[in-house]
Amino acid sequence: MQVYLPLAEMSVDALLVVGIGLAVGLLSGLFGVGGGFLMTPLLIFIGIPSAVAVATSANQTMGASISGLIAHWRRGNVDAKMGAVLTLAGLAGSAVGVRLFALFRSLGQLDLVVALFYVVVLGIVGSLMAAESVRALLRRRRQVRRRLHEHFWMHGLPLKMRFRQSRLYISVIPPVMIGFGIGLLSAIMGVGGGFILVPAMIYLLGMPTAVVIGTSLFQVVFVTAAVTVMQSVSTQSVDVILALMLMAGAVAGAQFGAAMGSRLRGEETRGLLGLLVLAVALELGVALFRRPEAMYVVEPLL
Amino acid sequence: MSRARRLAAAVLALLAAAPAPAAALVAELSQREIAVTTGFTGAELLVFGAKETAPADLIVVVRGPALPFVVRQKTRIAGIWVNGASEIFNTAPTFYAVASTRPLAEILPESERERLRLGLDALPLRPEGPRDEPAFRDALIALKTEAGLYRQDDDGVTLVGERLFHARIFLPPTVIPGPYRVDVLAVQDQRIVAARDIALVVRRVGTSAEIWRFAHEQPWLYGFGAVLVAALAGWTGSVLFRRG
Repeated sequence: MQVYLPLAEMSVDALLVVGIGLAVGLLSGLFGVGGGFLMTPLLIFIGIPSAVAVATSANQTMGASISGLIAHWRRGNVDAKMGAVLTLAGLAGSAVGVRLFALFRSLGQLDLVVALFYVVVLGIVGSLMAAESVRALLRRRRQVRRRLHEHFWMHGLPLKMRFRQSRLYISVIPPVMIGFGIGLLSAIMGVGGGFILVPAMIYLLGMPTAVVIGTSLFQVVFVTAAVTVMQSVSTQSVDVILALMLMAGAVAGAQFGAAMGSRLRGEETRGLLGLLVLAVALELGVALFRRPEAMYVVEPLL
Repeated sequence: MSRARRLAAAVLALLAAAPAPAAALVAELSQREIAVTTGFTGAELLVFGAKETAPADLIVVVRGPALPFVVRQKTRIAGIWVNGASEIFNTAPTFYAVASTRPLAEILPESERERLRLGLDALPLRPEGPRDEPAFRDALIALKTEAGLYRQDDDGVTLVGERLFHARIFLPPTVIPGPYRVDVLAVQDQRIVAARDIALVVRRVGTSAEIWRFAHEQPWLYGFGAVLVAALAGWTGSVLFRRG
């Protein structure tokens, strides 16, 4: 069934779009991430313009993350203070990101910039995740006791702040920098950034694992909400019809994914997720070098 | 009533209504308005009418609103394909279809085709700026043709008997809403002997129109609305699945 997307100004097969939502939802339920990093490339692949794919994917990620946030909030797994710091920095980052997005679009280099961001960010994150899960699998046999969290040089920077729920007393600078970076990526890649935020909170900030997912969802929901509003204002590329179809699939998929995920071990899921992320980065990276089918492109002048 | 019968009835009505001397050419469209709805998958426009009994060729042209476009050439930098040189075309028709009974070059001399902008090679596409590489112009035409937005059909007009004619023009789902113009020309001995023009409107209607208008006229409200819709959908989903 064909459905006309009012802002993308084209029609798409509704079943295909709901199917993409379902597949991404399944993976996000399985791995506990938003799945925006898969959603945007898939949408671009089926012919949705990059601008609409990125902006709508942010909107969809927000919808998909909110139910998780509610669940974690009820269980008290959200460090609201840390979340607020990350969110405020994230808003600043996404404001900069949306400006850059509009600038690259007017220069005609948006597709390239989005692809480059994907290749670099996913390449790094995927390699780190895969390496970490291999290390964890090896460590399991050796049973090394770890401390509560490691202290880095950056925790000792000025402007210290107490985060009770995370049992941390650290400088506010590292969370602000992390939040800003995620906000920037959120605007340019249309991702929530959970797949970067979660490891960054564990390894860089030393937060306890129990509050990491809830707090990252807190930041993701607010930053993607802000990105949705800012993209609507600056590029008019948030397509609500597309977002609703994606969410319909994703909400259902996430439930099945979560059920499947409970049967897998943590290290194994992380290893698989790392491989998946790497595969997406590789595919997008190779595409940059592939000779394009058409040597010219036509775009409406903005 | 079948489509053919409706067409015949309409033609008869036209013939009856038209006063005798001006009846050199009559033409009508299957619809004067094309509605872009949420289920829009393109539309087929039927242009039909009648001409004088004397042998003549017919040309049907459908033109959409003009917009500025930019054509970018892919170039290779450090092995990566990027958008390089570009040309801006300030007024390029967003839709252009020309159909005729015979190839245009056989019907009309080149000067006349240029003057009336008939045919893809006669489109007034002039890039902004000093460079004038035909490659960009050709690329624009080729890409628009591939997208179904430009078309030249050398036997797209069908004559039925001596007087009746019809042409089918397909407007793909990517057509830009706005005012369109349909021209019907009758040509005899390399000369245009009769012409008719009919206005056609492509309009967004229903939900998709309202969403588009809302997004462009009230972008802040639209943004907050999109956030609210996503939040509601996510929340509803979690409630639904918890119960079930």
